[in-house]
Amino acid sequence: MPPVIEVEHLQKRYGSFKAVKDVSFSVEQGEIFGILGPNGAGKTSTVECVQGLREPSSGSIRMLGIDAIGQRSQLRGRIGSQLQESALPDRMKVWEALDLFASFTTGGPDWKVLLEQWGLTEKAKTSFADLSGGQQQRLFIALALVNEPEVVFLDELTQGLDPGARRVAWDLIREIRARGATVVIVTHYMDEAEQLCDRLAVVSGGEIVATGRPQELIANSERGIKVRFSTQQQDLTWLESIDAVSAVSRHGDAVEVTGSGPVLALTASALVAHGIVPADLRALQPSLEDVYLDMIGSGEEADANGRVR
Amino acid sequence: MGAFAKLTWVELKLFTREPFAVIFTFAFPLIVLIVLINSFQPEEGGFGGFGEADPQDYYLASYVGVVIAAVGLIALPVHIATYRDRGILRRFRASSLAAWTIVGAQAIVGLLMVIASSIALIVFARVFYDAAMPESPGLVLIGFLVGTLTFLSVGVLLGIVTRNARGAQAVGMMLFFPMFLMSGAGPPRDIMSSGMRSVSDVLPLTWVVSSLQNPWLGEDMEWSNLILLGGLLAVCVVLSMRLLRRV
Repeated sequence: MPPVIEVEHLQKRYGSFKAVKDVSFSVEQGEIFGILGPNGAGKTSTVECVQGLREPSSGSIRMLGIDAIGQRSQLRGRIGSQLQESALPDRMKVWEALDLFASFTTGGPDWKVLLEQWGLTEKAKTSFADLSGGQQQRLFIALALVNEPEVVFLDELTQGLDPGARRVAWDLIREIRARGATVVIVTHYMDEAEQLCDRLAVVSGGEIVATGRPQELIANSERGIKVRFSTQQQDLTWLESIDAVSAVSRHGDAVEVTGSGPVLALTASALVAHGIVPADLRALQPSLEDVYLDMIGSGEEADANGRVR
Repeated sequence: MGAFAKLTWVELKLFTREPFAVIFTFAFPLIVLIVLINSFQPEEGGFGGFGEADPQDYYLASYVGVVIAAVGLIALPVHIATYRDRGILRRFRASSLAAWTIVGAQAIVGLLMVIASSIALIVFARVFYDAAMPESPGLVLIGFLVGTLTFLSVGVLLGIVTRNARGAQAVGMMLFFPMFLMSGAGPPRDIMSSGMRSVSDVLPLTWVVSSLQNPWLGEDMEWSNLILLGGLLAVCVVLSMRLLRRV
């Protein structure tokens, strides 16, 4: 199955400032795809170009097999958007907003069902300005779903929400995917990216610095994974011949093996093969946050050991 | 109901929930009209500056112009700038609604408000002050429509070019009050100094007031004023269409 979104060599300039320098990525059917990066990295410019809200300076974007730049009008009905820093008129009531946005599209679910599903029935007659932050976000998600979209874009959805409301929002996003839509989220929260996303693109300075599953990004990081165990056996040089291992060091009985990718599994099986079965074998992985800070070039001062998983 | 009709209907409801806009559109012209009619009630005919006309007739005609200016220079630009500023316009655009559709719906609501407020003024002045009805209703209607469309187009342009709602309000007020005081809707033009009158001559609201007042009071329509208004309308529409694509 071809990817739902294919972005190639996207560039976006504002005057002489290059907000997006050269971005290429693809999103598969049914994925939750995250675009992660610090403020000003070009995340929002990228997704707004993909949604047809901004004109790219160059590059190509295909969505659902359609040229998203030249034929964007054909796509509008098939995508749903929740935008960063957008709002509704203060005095617009919840039901009016859903009723109005439903009238822009043909087909799609009855908006009263969405009202119910997103827990807004009791707030139907409340003005937008009188809703809590979490209720406003739920309304924005409901509005993004009013045309039964095949692709949903959520930009900084959980910004300004308290931790409880963020977890509710995550469940809502998983639910959107469970209904068959592909979801693209933009975030600068590491826990959100790690919990929610099947795959991530890390954006920094207008370029993609890494793409992959959150675990892949961690496993492939230059920080490496440290495997620790204790043994009294002195000769461990055979450990260094394992592909994934880059260094072995020891302090008395305590051994530390540094490596990448499948280093834990390979080390463990080699130990067993040599008759060593330590009870305290464990791996120390850098967190996604450590890896991310390395990638965007501001992690020099971060703790080198990472945290225990 | 189609999308555009529904949007216009919702916009109309939103307008009536906005106290600032409602007061400025309905109450302000009415209050000033009452104050001025009562201030200038002549004891024995021929009070300076009104020509043959009685003050209530003179002011009723010009106050329809004030309503037009209040909606076009203040209510509409503040509303549009708020939508732009707060990302409401973006939210609509993300749902396939072109910016001009939203602005168009707001301009239609502005037109309806001008009509409603003008009717309220006329009925009020007729019932309480026995004000005269237009001598040439057809020409008054032409002046009313050209003047309203022009000021709505000015309002749309102001709403697009100002930085935010506060900026729109400041610019709108700065344009509204001098025009209001010097267009003939305040002191009659006949008693203005020649310097003041030459400023008054180049104010678009003067063109509107004249296009309403002259046919209302049975004087000749000054077509040059309507042509000037038409020109301003064309400029504002062209500029707005170009700028709206970039919003």
